[in-house]
Formats: sequence, structure tokens, C-alpha cells
Amino acid sequence: MAFFQNSFSIKIHPEWSLFLDHARQHFFRILIISLSCLLSIAFSVDSQVPEVQIVVNPSVESKDLSVAQIRRIFSMRQTTWSNDTKITVYVLSNQHQTHQAFSTKVLGMFPYQLDRIWNKLVYSGLGEEPIKVKSEQEMLERVSQKPGAIGYVMQQVNDNNVKVIKVLEE
Amino acid sequence: MKLTTRITCLGLGLIFQSFCLNAESLKINGFVAQGIVQAKDSNFVNDSGDVSLKLTEVGVNSAYRINPSLRVAGQAVYLDGGNRYPDGFRIDYLFLEWQLLNSANWQIKTQIGRNKNYHWLYSSTRDVPHTRPSIVLPQSLYFDVFRDVAIGVDGLVLMAQTHNNLGEWDINFSYGNSRISEEQKNNLLGSNTTGKLRHDEDTQFSVYWRPKLSNFQLGFSLLDADFSYHQGENDTFFTGDETSQRIMFNLLYQGKSWEIASEVMRERVIVENMLFPGFTSDVTAEGGYLQARYFLSNQLTLLTRLDIYDRDRQDRDGRNIQTLSQGLVPGYFGLMDQATVGVTWKFAKNIQIQAEYHKIKGTGRLAPIFTPNTVLNADKYWDMWAVQLMYWF
Repeated sequence: MAFFQNSFSIKIHPEWSLFLDHARQHFFRILIISLSCLLSIAFSVDSQVPEVQIVVNPSVESKDLSVAQIRRIFSMRQTTWSNDTKITVYVLSNQHQTHQAFSTKVLGMFPYQLDRIWNKLVYSGLGEEPIKVKSEQEMLERVSQKPGAIGYVMQQVNDNNVKVIKVLEE
Repeated sequence: MKLTTRITCLGLGLIFQSFCLNAESLKINGFVAQGIVQAKDSNFVNDSGDVSLKLTEVGVNSAYRINPSLRVAGQAVYLDGGNRYPDGFRIDYLFLEWQLLNSANWQIKTQIGRNKNYHWLYSSTRDVPHTRPSIVLPQSLYFDVFRDVAIGVDGLVLMAQTHNNLGEWDINFSYGNSRISEEQKNNLLGSNTTGKLRHDEDTQFSVYWRPKLSNFQLGFSLLDADFSYHQGENDTFFTGDETSQRIMFNLLYQGKSWEIASEVMRERVIVENMLFPGFTSDVTAEGGYLQARYFLSNQLTLLTRLDIYDRDRQDRDGRNIQTLSQGLVPGYFGLMDQATVGVTWKFAKNIQIQAEYHKIKGTGRLAPIFTPNTVLNADKYWDMWAVQLMYWF
């Protein structure tokens, strides 16, 4: 405070001076409390964001899938389940927040990579691309209706007509 | 009507008939693209070097799953690329696919019919505008004059996919041949030829590896192709043979903002008796490109690429060509290096516009290959630009 007063010859009201001295003494305490508040807000916001959940038709026997296996399924490399049932893959559009979260956080791929793979399949005759749906609600409906179907949603799943698959980290 | 067209009409007819029976098993997709292009001081697009609309690509494809093991797929395209390749309708692919094995660890299938070339990074979709990084692909490897031969073969393809602790593996093998049209022959040999050029045999093998959960891909491919020329009446060429043997390596990295791609090749070309009885030529060409794409946003992508090609690795500046032709063919016909910058703007769902500029040194990849056109390609340095609007469904 003396520095400010000497350097700039500013006359500060004694009550303000007392307040600033007090504030300086508690600066680090205030800083830590503020950061804690910010962090707690950040974490509370994060915890409110639901994770992407992989959903399958109840006819699918698997209870869990590895990340590599989910990659193979959504890259259309693996086209049947272990019991020889055909896998029907449903996806949301590239712009959909859930598709972006699924692609980057679950598969560890960027949406454009999936697009390239599917384009190659379709335009060189190699295979089929996944079926595009417009909303998570449609995703749940179609996965629940098609045996062997797989998809993903970010909302809480309270639907007994689909099964949530556990993702096994590699 | 040509045999391939008949077969295709029949195939498409069967597919559409099946469509009525089982709509869920039928898929139809396609693309339409029109562009504007100019390659001044060269005959790459047209002989005048003027601005041209000869940059049209239209295609429709369909696939029908007969049962879990059998599938039919076909694509018909209309292309007009000026001098780059013969224009008109053609069957891009039409094959019957048979899934031989589909287990948890292995998927093996075979395709019989007209197949695509699945061995190079962009070979299987080089005519599909929105799947290409640029309108004109690097000419060292994706040589437009040779397009119809390199696009695929009538024959057999065997494909295997597997995975292990190291990552994912793709193994491809193809065997067959392709029909060389009169225009394609003229592009390669020149318009003074009256004989027949045949693509007798084409064998290719490739392996791709993607390390587990990584954004990298590495691959290599081998090619062995045999051609024969059968002399016609009053022909300037003689009955002879040509063999191409190519080895290629490729690398692809796909990051959040960057994509890096590179392919390099070494190709041995043996020509026997074609120019005159007893003539033999055995040269090894080298080429390759390094390409970077930067994703400015979901809509905008920037591209930069350097592509290098030397027709003879023992004669990189083409001095021997100049000497052997007694000065008639300049040395720059022995090389072709290409620097490219471009931008892609996807401004609506399934619609995008691509624009690019190429600065080129050399004319080693310009038609006709065997009888260089030194009048239309009188400049060592030339440039090209192109803009193309494309829609796909």
C-alpha cells in the first residue's frame, strides 16, 4: 500500500486502506476458496453431462465390448455377432453432438475418419454404410425393434427394450 | 450395344426387380460434379490450353444383398476429363461378392466380375469427387493417361481382414485384365497407331496395417502388369510387349486438425520390340507425394501437396531422352513435379466446392506417352487451376 501511495501520491481513505490491508492478508485464502468454487462448479457441470452409452437390441448376447471391437463394428469391419446374427449399425449425423462425443470419446476417432471409411465402402462397392437416424429417440426406437442392432445415446436409458453395453477400456 | 453395357443393364434390371421384392436389401447412392479447368501451356486437359468445362463426373451405384453371404454391387459413371482420359459412359464396377468366412477374427471375401483397384490410398474412389483430396490427383501415381487400366480389372479379388494385438490388417489380392479402348490406346501410344493394345494380365497384392487404436495407417502394394501390342496395317508401331512392375509404400495419419498422406513408388517398365523389331528398353521410374490437409473447421479444409516423378531413376533430368532423340524431345519429358494448393468448402449437407492450383515442372505424365507431343507441350514449366462443384447422395 505504501508503494502505491509513494509512487502515485494517491491518498486513500483510511477505511479503504484498512480494507485493502485486510484483503491482502487474506488474498491467498480468497484465491484458494475462489479456485475451489470454480473447480467444484466445473466438476459439477462435467458430472451433469451424461456419458455416451452404447445400446443394443436385447437379442444381442454380449454384455460388454472392448473399444477395439466397437471400432470394428462402427467401421463396418465386423458385420455379425458371435452367434452369427447380422449387426445393424445406427448412427446420428456428423453434426450431432452425441455422434461427435461417441466418435471422439468412445472410439477415439474423429467423425471425418468414420465418414471416409463409410464413403469408401459405399462408392467402391466394398460394403454398406450404417443407417442414419435423426434423433436419439429414433435411435432407441430402431435399436429396440431390430434384432442384432447397435447404436448409442447420451441420454439416460430407461427403456427395457434396449440393453446398455459396458465398454471395456483397453 | 457393347457386352459390358448389356451385362450392366441386365444386372441393374435384376437389382431393380429385386428392389420390388425386398426394398431393405437394396442401396442406391450416387454423385454429380461439374467443374471448370484450365491447363495453360500443356495438353493435359485440351490442346488449346483454354478454359474448359471438361470436368464432369456423374455416377450411380447400387448394391443388393441376396443373402448373408452373397451380394451384387455395381456403379455406372459418365466422365468427361478432356484429354485426361476417354470420355463417356462406362461401368466402373459390377461384381458378385461372396463372403467366404465371417468369424470374430477373420473376414474373407471374394469378388468376381469388374472390380475396383483397392490397393492404393485413393484408387478405389478416384472418380468419386467428394472422396478425393483434390480434383486432380498426384500424377506420379494416379496417372490420368493410364486411368482406365489402373481403375480395376475384370477378374477376381480376394480380400481378408483380421485383427490382433498389433492392430487391424487388410490383405488384398487381385488378378485379371482390362479392355483398352481405342482412345486409351491413342493416349498412350499416339494417334498414328492402327494396331491393338491389350492388357493381358494384371496381378496386384497389398497389405494395410492400422496399429491398435491409433490414427496411423501404413501399407504397401505390389503390381505386375503385362501388355501386348499387335501391329495393324500401315502401323508406325511393331508387335511387341510391355511389362510394368511396381512397388508402393503408403502412410496416412489422421489427427484432429491435420491429415498427412504420402505414397511413394518405384516402377520398372520393360518395353520390347514395340518401336522397332529388336528394340528393348528397361527403365525404373520413381515417384511419390507428400500431402497435408488442415481442417480449418467442419466446412473448410486446406490442402498442400508436393508430388515428384522421374521416368528413369538413372536419368532424373531426362538428359538421355534428349540425347537419344537427337534433341527432338526435351529432357523435361523425363520428369513431372507438381506443387498443389487447394481448398474445399462443404457449404451444405452433401454439397461442396473444391478449388485448387497446380504449378508443374516437366511433362513426363502428359499424353501420348510413347510419342511425346513437343509442339503442344513446349514449356518446361506450366500451371493449372480447377474449380469443381459436387453433390452426392
